[in-house]
Amino acid sequence: MIEIKNVTKKYGNKVALDDISFNVEDGEIFAFIGHNGAGKTTLIKSMVGIHDFDLGDIIINGKSIKNNDIDCKKEIAFVPDNPELYENMKAIRFINFICDMYEIDNDIRLTNIKKYAKIFEMEDYLNDEIGSFSHGMKQKIALIAALAHNPNVLIMDEPFVGLDPKAIFDMKKIMNEMVKDGKIVFFSTHILDVAEKLCSKVAIIKNGKLVKVGNMKDIKGDKSLEKVFLELEK
Amino acid sequence: MKKILSLLKTCMSNNMSLFRVKNKNNSKTYKHILPIILFVFVFFAIYYYADIIIKPLIKINVGYIILSLIAIITFFLTLVEGIYKSSSLLFNCTDDNLLLSLPIKRHTVLFIRIFKFYVFELLYNAMFLLPVIVSYTVNVKVGYEYYITSLFMILLLPIIPIFISCVIGVFISFVSTRFKLKNIAQIFITTIFLLVMLYLSYNLESIAKNIASNATSINDFITKMYYPAGVYSKLVTNFNLSDLLVFIIINILLFIILILLFSKVYFKINSKVKEIKVNKHSKNYIVRANSQFLSLVKKELKRFTNTPVFVINAAFGLVLFLIVCVFIVIKSDTFLNFINQYGLSLKKNIITEYIPVILFALISFSSLMTSITSSMISLEGKSFNILKSLPIKPFKIIFSKVIAALIIMIPVILIGDSIMFIKFKFNFFSIIMIISLSIIIPLVSELIGIIVNLKYPKMNAESDTEIVKQSISSFISVLIGIVLIGINIFVIIKCIEYSISNYIILFGGIIVYIIILISLLIYLYRRGIKYFYNISV
Repeated sequence: MIEIKNVTKKYGNKVALDDISFNVEDGEIFAFIGHNGAGKTTLIKSMVGIHDFDLGDIIINGKSIKNNDIDCKKEIAFVPDNPELYENMKAIRFINFICDMYEIDNDIRLTNIKKYAKIFEMEDYLNDEIGSFSHGMKQKIALIAALAHNPNVLIMDEPFVGLDPKAIFDMKKIMNEMVKDGKIVFFSTHILDVAEKLCSKVAIIKNGKLVKVGNMKDIKGDKSLEKVFLELEK
Repeated sequence: MKKILSLLKTCMSNNMSLFRVKNKNNSKTYKHILPIILFVFVFFAIYYYADIIIKPLIKINVGYIILSLIAIITFFLTLVEGIYKSSSLLFNCTDDNLLLSLPIKRHTVLFIRIFKFYVFELLYNAMFLLPVIVSYTVNVKVGYEYYITSLFMILLLPIIPIFISCVIGVFISFVSTRFKLKNIAQIFITTIFLLVMLYLSYNLESIAKNIASNATSINDFITKMYYPAGVYSKLVTNFNLSDLLVFIIINILLFIILILLFSKVYFKINSKVKEIKVNKHSKNYIVRANSQFLSLVKKELKRFTNTPVFVINAAFGLVLFLIVCVFIVIKSDTFLNFINQYGLSLKKNIITEYIPVILFALISFSSLMTSITSSMISLEGKSFNILKSLPIKPFKIIFSKVIAALIIMIPVILIGDSIMFIKFKFNFFSIIMIISLSIIIPLVSELIGIIVNLKYPKMNAESDTEIVKQSISSFISVLIGIVLIGINIFVIIKCIEYSISNYIILFGGIIVYIIILISLLIYLYRRGIKYFYNISV
């Protein structure tokens, strides 16, 4: 379970996150949407321990990112919006490096790397340097590295940007499989159709404030998510 | 023209931000305070030495020689700096794609690259030239011609070394693109050029003697040594507008030739440099589990070996240490005479007794001048977020960088030590103490480097060279190193003068460095981790 409790984050005088609170239960795919600069990435970076925040707390599976960051991070896998990976590393080395950080057994990592490299059609490229990859290929490597250590919570910032249609399809399938096992998938996106079809819960953020949060059905009612979102933006 | 100016403004303001220091309040005063302090420190250090040298020269009416001398010295320094930087500063920059996609002529892009290089070298030059120019003004009565000449000298002196280093940089990049292992080729060729430079400066005395025997006057001698230096002294002693104009035209022409010449080959080489070797696709890959710490250290070593400017920067001090050790072993008499002549006026047998202490001084010099970690945080760039999101303690991440740097440094220092141990038959206690110092001093140096880099990171540089050679972090680390070396050598000389024994000096050194080491570790643990969390990408 993810518990976001009264999180406030300021950049100087600008309030980037203003008293944000909501929960994500186990077995949920949660969409986090908002316009550019609304505070999505700031909250995600706070959730994974990249950013500090001024007030409140974020608790993931009972572990606070503020007070027990290492154990909390062990629960998480994070895929950033722009995969700034180590360009001079071979893809396999990078994935292996991430697995080392999560202290994953050799057999488990090998099985997972094989599985996800096959799904994302990256088996032939694992021996290549990341610097030679396209944006989409880097995104796939970031996803394989994130999935290779069997995270309980998958947090992604714009995961579908740069992916080809087959990879998007496969990613959605993986997300559904994860939540069937009681895990959590939390991601931000601008592709509202995908969020509408895929997610059971949604939160909408505007200028650092949470304007809507709840079940997808309750939020959108008879309208499309796009329409609800655009109405809130007015 | 408006377009070029706008581009220059944008590119330069982005680059000059390297010298700004961020703090929480982001106040402008704070941002500029540290660079100003550093500049003032360097200015007065050079001014002090210039003042000592100029006074006896003025007595024999040749005070202007100091201006020519500094012109020659800055030529060598700028050239060495240029050789280091040129290939990585000109090629494979992160803004290549942006600039090349804009509707501007290609040679404009090249002009911007070289102009940026020029501005950095100009600042570097000015750091040495300005104090000497001021010192001359204070000691000698000068007219307005002096100020005009000096202004043009500050502006134009970097052009010739830039021209030469750009030619060498393009040559290095061109040759290295022909090899499969581009980085290794680049490191190898650059090192050869730098060693040639070192050899030439070592033989400068004999070159100067040769020129002197064929020169008709001091001015003629200086002109034959280095044309701009000759022009400088000529204009200061006997100002002539036509000479100044000729000098200005020659330099501007050189700059134009450089851009025209390079525009023919630059873009071809640049696209070759960007090519990344792609292996034959194979499904065979090795997956091997390592401990967190080992994996982090391996990552750092890989980053190091993949960055030629980083390797060259680190290797230079270490290779120099080895060369000096080998030189002392092969030509021990020459070395001891040198020490006697320029350092300590002691009998040869007494200096021989102090060889372990001399080795201690050499270790401190090479270690404190080699700060690998001062760039390691900045080199993470935007990938720093990956590290921050991983379940590892920041201290472990930081310390893995220090250990990686030590893995690079300590073996080289120990090789140098061993050569000296064998030649001068060190006794057991001296060996133990020297080995201890060979571990402790590099550790101190790298801890200073990492702390400074955590405090002053540069996470969005356009190239690795900007981080390794031009960042405030590497500058401060080297400066702290220089201060420590100065204190170290001063104390050693005083100890030898008071006939304090070898053992006491070495043991004292160990104790002092251990105290510094513990203080740095405590500081890193208490404050360094806070700095780590504060870095925002």
